[in-house]
Amino acid sequence: MIYVIDHKDSFTHNVVHQFSLFDRVECSDFNEINKSKLNKASTIVLSPGPGSPKDYPLTTKIYKKYKGKKKIIGICLGFQQILFSEGGKIIEQNKIYHGFQSDVIVNENSKLYKKGQIFKVGRYHSLKLKEPFEAKNFDITMRCAISGSAMSIENSIDKVYGFQFHPESFLTINGNTLIKKILSA
Amino acid sequence: MTQNILQKIHSSDKSYIIYKSKKGFDLYTEFTEKKILSLKNTVHFLNKFNKKKIKLKNTDLYIGFFGYELLNNLIGVKIPKQSSNNFPKGIFYKPSKIINLNEKLIDFNKTKKNYSKFKININLKTYKKIFENFKKKIKKGETYQIKICTKYKNNSIIDPLEFFCRLSKSNLAPEAFLIKDKDYSIISCSPETLILKKGNIIETKPIAGTLKKNKTLNKKKALNFFRKNIKETKEHNMIVDMERSDLSKICLPGSVKIAKQKTVEEYKDLFHYVSLIRGKVKKNISTLDIIKAMMPGGSVIGCPKISTLNLLNNQEKENRNIYTGSFGFIKFNGDMRFNIIIRSILNYKNTSEISVASGVVVDSTAKHEFNENYIKAKALIDLFK
Repeated sequence: MIYVIDHKDSFTHNVVHQFSLFDRVECSDFNEINKSKLNKASTIVLSPGPGSPKDYPLTTKIYKKYKGKKKIIGICLGFQQILFSEGGKIIEQNKIYHGFQSDVIVNENSKLYKKGQIFKVGRYHSLKLKEPFEAKNFDITMRCAISGSAMSIENSIDKVYGFQFHPESFLTINGNTLIKKILSA
Repeated sequence: MTQNILQKIHSSDKSYIIYKSKKGFDLYTEFTEKKILSLKNTVHFLNKFNKKKIKLKNTDLYIGFFGYELLNNLIGVKIPKQSSNNFPKGIFYKPSKIINLNEKLIDFNKTKKNYSKFKININLKTYKKIFENFKKKIKKGETYQIKICTKYKNNSIIDPLEFFCRLSKSNLAPEAFLIKDKDYSIISCSPETLILKKGNIIETKPIAGTLKKNKTLNKKKALNFFRKNIKETKEHNMIVDMERSDLSKICLPGSVKIAKQKTVEEYKDLFHYVSLIRGKVKKNISTLDIIKAMMPGGSVIGCPKISTLNLLNNQEKENRNIYTGSFGFIKFNGDMRFNIIIRSILNYKNTSEISVASGVVVDSTAKHEFNENYIKAKALIDLFK
């Protein structure tokens, strides 16, 4: 079972429906977590949402508790939450991407996707990861084709993954395939 | 013939509602019940519609509106104390007569003018302040898009039917409606369908992008304009994803589909950039669940809904009343049709109010959006000339 932690976003239920293609999904607000269900889940998904990771200490706590024990996938804010919990800095960017479709390129660090492959993806983010970023077992595996900003991370040891873009957006082509690969990793 | 019926009802002082239908207009009247909604009784009221009824008469429905505040409260969003004229939070009527008016409405009863000048509730200076503040919130990621609302008010006694007929002549909107009751009236040329539900199929048809017609524009050129316009495209994309997500709360996984993606619809004076999203409602979903999932309609608020509503509500000093609420009907079998209340006049206690809103996006300016708001209001303000 997959547990989606909702940060009161208006895209969360697209995430829920996307993951429902592969497994049973439970979803609740980040401040109304059903602990026994969360415990039973094999995968935890950190949803997109407004604001920045520091606004959600409860989610950081959950991440730290379950890292290495369950597969964890972060999307947009969820992606930033993983990075933030790993000591990364999340900062404002000059150009803001809300409702943008752009190209992202897979690099040589990826174990899941082919190097050089380009995906068309939907983006909704004001903030981004400040680089350089380093954390044990974490690799940045996709970057924006134009700006070079970090667009996905993989940690295949602890099974932690994340996308800065929105695989569930209608602007993302082959979003289901992206998720399928992570779920079967 | 039907026009005579309308005139008769109008001059009889009976309450009635007119709602745009596919062919013309439907007139709802001879109300046997008038339900004034509060947060408490709304849940009870909406629970009525979960019972299945085999044989449905065409009058087996309630028609009316939910105001903005009520829709916020239903989803657990509180509104700080605001100034208010105590207009009801929502009203629904049970009609016992529905008449199809399948012809054009004509003007009659030209009334004497009795209006004061319109006054706006926030000036450009205040608007700029709000705009810059919201821009910062976008930069911080607290909202991705937010719409600032301004309200125009005057003192006026109006003939709502005359106004509605004139408005329908200049702008025949697909979700137009008129409510005439003893103590208030609403005249609207809303273009936007928020919910259309028949059986277990539910649709929403968000509009993001409007272009005024001129001699050289056609549908193809309008489409080109929208596609090239980055601001409209971004706003539209965001709303499509938001509405997909709202529908996904109540629909079967995998059933939510974009039936029409970014198409242009042509109306008398303008082009709209429209998408149509459709899904299959899950079993055991109640009417209340549907209302809470879809309202208030996202396209006129911003995104994400909850944090954006909170930012708006903490900013606004005056109750929105009907603005960005929803008008429509619910049949006893749970089928429904609702719009988003925009481009509307509320006349209550001899005051007319017109609210409008336009979006803050990082690459627009306060002055431009402030004027945009005025242009939106002008079509309605001009009715008072």
